[in-house]
Amino acid sequence: MINSLLWTPLIFALSGLVLPKRAVGWWAAAGAAVTLGIAIALLAGFDPSGGLQDTVDVEWIPGLGVDYSLGIDGLNVFLVLLTAVLWLGGTAFAAFREQERPHLFFLMMLLGETATLGAFVAQDLLLFVLFFDLMLVPFYFLFGAWGTDREGGPTASAATLKMIVYTLIGSLLMLVGAIATAIIAADGGQISFSIADLAQDPVAEGSQRWIFWFFAAAFLVKMPAFLLHGWMPDAYRAAPLPVLAVFSGVLAKVGAYGFLRVVLPLFPDATVQFQEVVLAIALASILYGSVMAFTQTNVRLIGGYSSVAQLGFITAGIFALRADGADGAVLQMVNHGLVVAPLFIIVALLAERSGSEDLREMGGMAMRAPVLAALFLIVTLATLAMPGSANFVGEFYILNGLFQAKIVFAFVAISGIAMSAYYALRLYQRTMHNRVPEGVASREIDLRDGLVLAPLVLCIVGLAFYPQLILKRTDDAVQTSVAAPTRAAEPGVRFAER
Amino acid sequence: VSISTWAWLALLLPLLGSLVIALGFRVLPARVAGIVGTAAIGLAFVCAVGALLNLLGEDAEARHHASSLWDYASAAGLDVKLGIYVDQLSVFMLLVVTGVSTLIHLYSFGYMRSDEGYHRFFSYLNFFVFSMLLLVLAGNFVLLIVGWAFVGFASYALISFWYRRTTATKAGMKAFVINVVGDIGLVLAAFLIFRELGTFEFGEVFAKAPEVFTQGGWTVTAICLLLLVGAFAKSAQIPFHTWLPDAMEGPTPVSSLIHAATMVTAGVYLIARTHVLFYLAPTAADIAAFTGLATLLIAGTIALTMTDLKRAIAYSTMSQIGYMIMGVSIGAYAQGLFHLMTHAFFKALLFMAAGSIISAMANRQDIDRMSGFWRAMRFTSLMLLVGGLALAAFPLTSGFFSKDSILAYAEVRGGMYTWMAIGGYLGALLTALYTFRLIFRVLPGRPCEEAQHLIDTGELYHGPAINPANEELEDPDVGFPGATHNVAEGSRPMAVAMALLGFGALFAGLIQVPGVDNVLFGFLDPAFADSPLSEIHPSVGAEWRGLTIGAAISLLGIGLAWVLWVARPGLPALLRARLRPLYELFVNKWYFDEAIDLLIVRPALAIGRFASSTFERFVVDGLVNGTKETVAGAGGIVRVVQSGFVRSYALLLIAGFAGLALYFLLSAS
Repeated sequence: MINSLLWTPLIFALSGLVLPKRAVGWWAAAGAAVTLGIAIALLAGFDPSGGLQDTVDVEWIPGLGVDYSLGIDGLNVFLVLLTAVLWLGGTAFAAFREQERPHLFFLMMLLGETATLGAFVAQDLLLFVLFFDLMLVPFYFLFGAWGTDREGGPTASAATLKMIVYTLIGSLLMLVGAIATAIIAADGGQISFSIADLAQDPVAEGSQRWIFWFFAAAFLVKMPAFLLHGWMPDAYRAAPLPVLAVFSGVLAKVGAYGFLRVVLPLFPDATVQFQEVVLAIALASILYGSVMAFTQTNVRLIGGYSSVAQLGFITAGIFALRADGADGAVLQMVNHGLVVAPLFIIVALLAERSGSEDLREMGGMAMRAPVLAALFLIVTLATLAMPGSANFVGEFYILNGLFQAKIVFAFVAISGIAMSAYYALRLYQRTMHNRVPEGVASREIDLRDGLVLAPLVLCIVGLAFYPQLILKRTDDAVQTSVAAPTRAAEPGVRFAER
Repeated sequence: VSISTWAWLALLLPLLGSLVIALGFRVLPARVAGIVGTAAIGLAFVCAVGALLNLLGEDAEARHHASSLWDYASAAGLDVKLGIYVDQLSVFMLLVVTGVSTLIHLYSFGYMRSDEGYHRFFSYLNFFVFSMLLLVLAGNFVLLIVGWAFVGFASYALISFWYRRTTATKAGMKAFVINVVGDIGLVLAAFLIFRELGTFEFGEVFAKAPEVFTQGGWTVTAICLLLLVGAFAKSAQIPFHTWLPDAMEGPTPVSSLIHAATMVTAGVYLIARTHVLFYLAPTAADIAAFTGLATLLIAGTIALTMTDLKRAIAYSTMSQIGYMIMGVSIGAYAQGLFHLMTHAFFKALLFMAAGSIISAMANRQDIDRMSGFWRAMRFTSLMLLVGGLALAAFPLTSGFFSKDSILAYAEVRGGMYTWMAIGGYLGALLTALYTFRLIFRVLPGRPCEEAQHLIDTGELYHGPAINPANEELEDPDVGFPGATHNVAEGSRPMAVAMALLGFGALFAGLIQVPGVDNVLFGFLDPAFADSPLSEIHPSVGAEWRGLTIGAAISLLGIGLAWVLWVARPGLPALLRARLRPLYELFVNKWYFDEAIDLLIVRPALAIGRFASSTFERFVVDGLVNGTKETVAGAGGIVRVVQSGFVRSYALLLIAGFAGLALYFLLSAS
């Protein structure tokens, strides 16, 4: 089952190469749909208290101790589902529009899905690193070759290059960190990259300290976190919007997920030691992202910087090192993906209607497009974590965890909520309300785009009524994940000194 | 049918109405949308009555029920259910909210008739009622926050309902952001409660609180102060009040329903609901009471100088809520809620009458332009007068009994609370003065142009469509505000709604006449039995002494208003000139907007500008560009990186991955 989940997109991608130009987009969308079906089946068969399940574990490179080891648990089951949902949306949205060189475009799209799913389900550290790096490749091509060059700014390929340089450095550090972890842990014996094995017996505290940062660098760049987000503005402006929808919706989450899957269990002592440092970075991301989001006029960048802030919340939740904070973080990863992907699809629709991506050249579009306005409004309210949305429950859990763990940090973080209300509503008002400027031709969302957008919005609404759907299934795995640092934090019980 | 079922039905009907209207906006005719919306709320009122009858059939001590549908968010020790809590307090609120809402829906049915946004309006309005009911029925702090934020959103959506007006969208944003600040206060209070008591459920919190907290302890005080942030933001108490006058940008039925009768009194409900905590935190309770007092006086002075009809009434609302906040904070729980109810009647009525007049004025709201409406619109004028009398606490009207019940309690509690009673009477003088300033300027005298037009032709005056706030020409192709206007004289639904409220405004006080009957307090008091403060009861004699003072003050205020604006019309100008600084202070609304702008808005924007124009460019980008330039300095390498390296690396990675996958496939088989 899990194998078919992982490789279905790739199989569709490769088989699509022989199809005629017009059919390839639909074939890709069909592939994404089949993948979604498998993901739903996985969730249906998921046992909330069953630990790691649907596992595949095959020796791969025995000499190096690398296994082809996959599995589903509470940490990744909904991220897998999120990936499948958003990829279907993004692929379908792209299929409705003419793409240049469609064969390559959809090949890269679906390759990206396989790589992302791989990163989520991998249970072997090296396999994880491999998929993590592989994710980069299709997006490099998608951003660079199908992106837009900006007048007076960097070309799409230059912007992409910047992104690659950033993330590649992170990835290489992580690769080194992964190998180092396995070798140090083996201590001359049989090397194993199995995450479960490595978590059983973490490396010495001294080694944890530097390896922690190697991993953290990769994850924080991916999110991106404050000061490591330099690649984001250019890349976001260059990226094709359907690609950006899945990129922003899913890829950033791999970073946050990495903390929960790898960093907390494998480096518990370092996690405890650097808790406040990471929290400070997270808070800076929240504040800086929010402040930037309400001064930008480019609609993509408002989405981009708001993601910086939201990922800051998620990181803060994880590094509260409490089950409630981490539960909220997992919930919020799904929520944020479900919100930001439709947001970028809406941005694409707005840009089509106004011929611009600048807020100052938009306005009044709600009048002739009530359905679009209503869908956008729901997305906006979820973005600002309106109480009653699942996003609020996520933030509530995160902030509660932070409040109980580090009260001062919680007080600072919560100011991000007030700012998010302002920037999200500002985006909505400036595009949909007020007078209509010259050059804006407001029209209703058409059926095709509605078919992409409405299901995503329905997911948001459905989760709003029943966030327990996710919380119930993630809680066990999250408890395990935060257990190691919690134990490490107890005085005198340093793991490494046993 | 059990009481919980009634409550759930009352809660769900407005949501259903809202959804039906929203989803059916293309197929339902406007009339049907209005009927569906009004009927949904009317049925909710019936359910509320059902709940009341059910509750009355039980022992007074056992009148509280918790009921939940499903686990909403329960993990890691947080246990949040989708649950409601039904007791005397919530049933009382349920009745007031659904009752007044039904009438305002009826009024809107006529008032908004020509508006293109009819469906949207009724959908939002129904959603608002749903949110408000969720707020008063919520069984735990999380759901309370959800209802709290939902009413905030509904308020935002309806303030900026005419969204082509930039003034309306700005006002909506202001209301929303200030309300989010209030939400944050509640969220933090909930966290603190959870830390100390380990639960969010009302029943458990209020049972455990007296055991865990010491009277006057700092934790419970902190909790109450955080709750007050929420209460003040929602109920427009100083310094979180600046959004309320701007909220008058919304259509008048909205001002009537949300910004007078129901939502803005949520803070009063909150304090009453958490009275157990406030009893344990007397400092916080006193701060709340003083804020209420300050608000009622300051808002009263501003209302005295406003020339915008709706804004003047908005300041009056602030001021009256000040009484309620003061009441529930000092322990006059039932009294505060009594005033909440009567205020809902007469203030909703005042706004309805104002809306009718504004319609006749072709959407102008400036009282300087108005006069002589008594001759042009008799019914509307009568209703304005009825609402005004109740607001000014004219003897035997509803406001007379409810306001004085709070002040009598304050006087009996003694000490510094006596001073609050005195402040309250001073506020009552202001109230009578500003209320009758409006009435004497609008109703008597020579009819203004618009009124004369109505008298002469029998038709409403229609000028060019102008936004009254900034004199901007309206967008003609939009259809909202509607092209034609509606007044009570020409619309049966409006007239019926106003007449019923007028009846309430005049006679609702008679259910609670000292020494005669005790209907309301008898019902509500058991809900507050766990606070010793509820055992303080002014004697009948003290109550009537207070009522006599109140009557005298009310008549004095009305008489003074008559002198100032009818008998000696030159006097106000003279006073304005004599008391220039004071007048400047009042007419500039005590400079709260300017202070907030200076202290919060400007610094935030400056930080934002610094971040995007300086920090992002030089620090964040500088890190990369610096590296790049170094590389470029090494000569030509950049080209290699750009054209060759990254791409080759990517291809290498793919190839390697494919090879490994192949290897795996082969070796696995």
